[in-house]
Amino acid sequence: MINFLEAFFTSPVMMGALFPALLIAVVTSSMSMMVLAHRLSFLTVGVSHASLAGLGIAVTLSLPLLPTAAVTAVAVALLLALMPSRQGINEDAGTGVLFAGSMALGVMLISNANSYEVDLFGLLFGNILTVSEQDTTWITWGSVFVLLALLIWAKSWWSMAFDMITAKASGIATSRLRLVLYGVIGLTVVMCVKLAGIVLTTGLMVLPAACAWFWGRSMFSLWALSLTFSIIGTLGGLMWSYQYDLPSGASIIAMLCLLFIASWLISWLKHHVFEVSHDF
Amino acid sequence: MNTPVVHLSHVRFGSDKKPVLEHLSLEVGAGHFMGIIGPNGAGKSTLLSIIAGLIKPDAGHIDLFGKCLNKRTRRKLQRDLGYLHQVQSKLPDIPLRVRDVVAMGLSSYNTSLFQGLFNDKSNEQEKITHALDLVEMTAHQTSDFRRLSGGQQQRVRLARALVRQPKLLLLDEPSAALDSRHQEKLYQLLRKLCDEQDMTVLMVEHDIAAITSYVDSVACLNKNIHYHAKKGDTIPDEVWREMYGDHVNIVAHDASCIGCAPVSHKPPHEHHHD
Repeated sequence: MINFLEAFFTSPVMMGALFPALLIAVVTSSMSMMVLAHRLSFLTVGVSHASLAGLGIAVTLSLPLLPTAAVTAVAVALLLALMPSRQGINEDAGTGVLFAGSMALGVMLISNANSYEVDLFGLLFGNILTVSEQDTTWITWGSVFVLLALLIWAKSWWSMAFDMITAKASGIATSRLRLVLYGVIGLTVVMCVKLAGIVLTTGLMVLPAACAWFWGRSMFSLWALSLTFSIIGTLGGLMWSYQYDLPSGASIIAMLCLLFIASWLISWLKHHVFEVSHDF
Repeated sequence: MNTPVVHLSHVRFGSDKKPVLEHLSLEVGAGHFMGIIGPNGAGKSTLLSIIAGLIKPDAGHIDLFGKCLNKRTRRKLQRDLGYLHQVQSKLPDIPLRVRDVVAMGLSSYNTSLFQGLFNDKSNEQEKITHALDLVEMTAHQTSDFRRLSGGQQQRVRLARALVRQPKLLLLDEPSAALDSRHQEKLYQLLRKLCDEQDMTVLMVEHDIAAITSYVDSVACLNKNIHYHAKKGDTIPDEVWREMYGDHVNIVAHDASCIGCAPVSHKPPHEHHHD
């Protein structure tokens, strides 16, 4: 075990991946609370798939991948935030439409690009081991921005999630802050693409808070638990991936899923076995 | 004369053909406790939403605390306002303690971090405890809000509205889900807040008989104020008929009451025995 840990922590590939992976763990665990509280899991699916259009545009026009994808994802997220209230369309349907449309655009653009330019498997399922120094810089700046946004608006977002009408009546600029929330979620989703890929990113945006939801009782305890689950999942997943030579993104998501199952099972046992149940 | 807390003049909301509110003028002073009654669709909740700055009227003028309520002043004026709306759907499944739900009503929750840095937070915990004490929920302060009964949740929501010690309290059917003991305690509490803290309360309720001993006046609303009954007044029969139709049965009520209460909306010939 000690030999394994020594090999893991001295591996240059793993050390290069560890910093951005842990940074993403901190950011996603914090934002996943908002995703769950505002019931925006499907938005994260829509935005992550929409980022394929951004990657397609970047490949076609030879632009930097991550920033272009970030701009596209944030634009799509803002469009989704505006669409239901202005055009009378259901948010769920709006997400489906934009998700399919931008995914189609992305596939068309990428299929026209030279095959050696695009690591399609990496885009779809992520590979933190191939993260470049420039990607790390983008992820660092993105993380600073997201954490700063949370520091400023987390309480208002929390109040809005609990009761939007009362939040508005108490002086919170709900329409504006909803737009900011969607934009920040869009940005966070794009930061995860390098780690978990377009297909698996939703896992990072939902699972940490989902694990914490069984145990947290306040905004701070939920955040602390979500962060703990996220870091354990990321470290465990990377070790799992290193040991058995598995894709890193999928290993992290699988580890978070295991933590969720364990969390749910313990919570279920606590309520149904160790406490007297009055259910029929 | 003191500046009225709420002043509405010729307010209209809705289309010309089917207005929800029209020609509505109203003035409420500090420390006044007003009940608002009216049939379904009379515009009671809309009126409270307009005063709370949630929706903009199509015409008319609104002053709160002597200042015009508009896009520019709305958020500042809302800081002195407590609002309890009707719960139309299930509250979200967020794991929160009762204390944390009440804390959301504090003004530091509604300002950005930078504004919040300058707020006095020293007595926030005391304010939360006091608000919970007012609604008799102190014993449940660490309980999971989701596990409370409907009536207990309603009392916590009321504590959330009270925690910032607002000058104006707008309540939309606050007694919904409360048992009769807590209904009476709620009205007693509101009366006390008006008398001792000069709080102004506007409360939409259906059961006029339950509130008449506590309120200072009752506004009969059906698109506009049909009648404004002060303590000792009796609401005329024609006002009841205008609001609830010809089929309303009217009975004489306690002499101390502001009005007579409609006991049935059915015409006599529709009554039958089981």
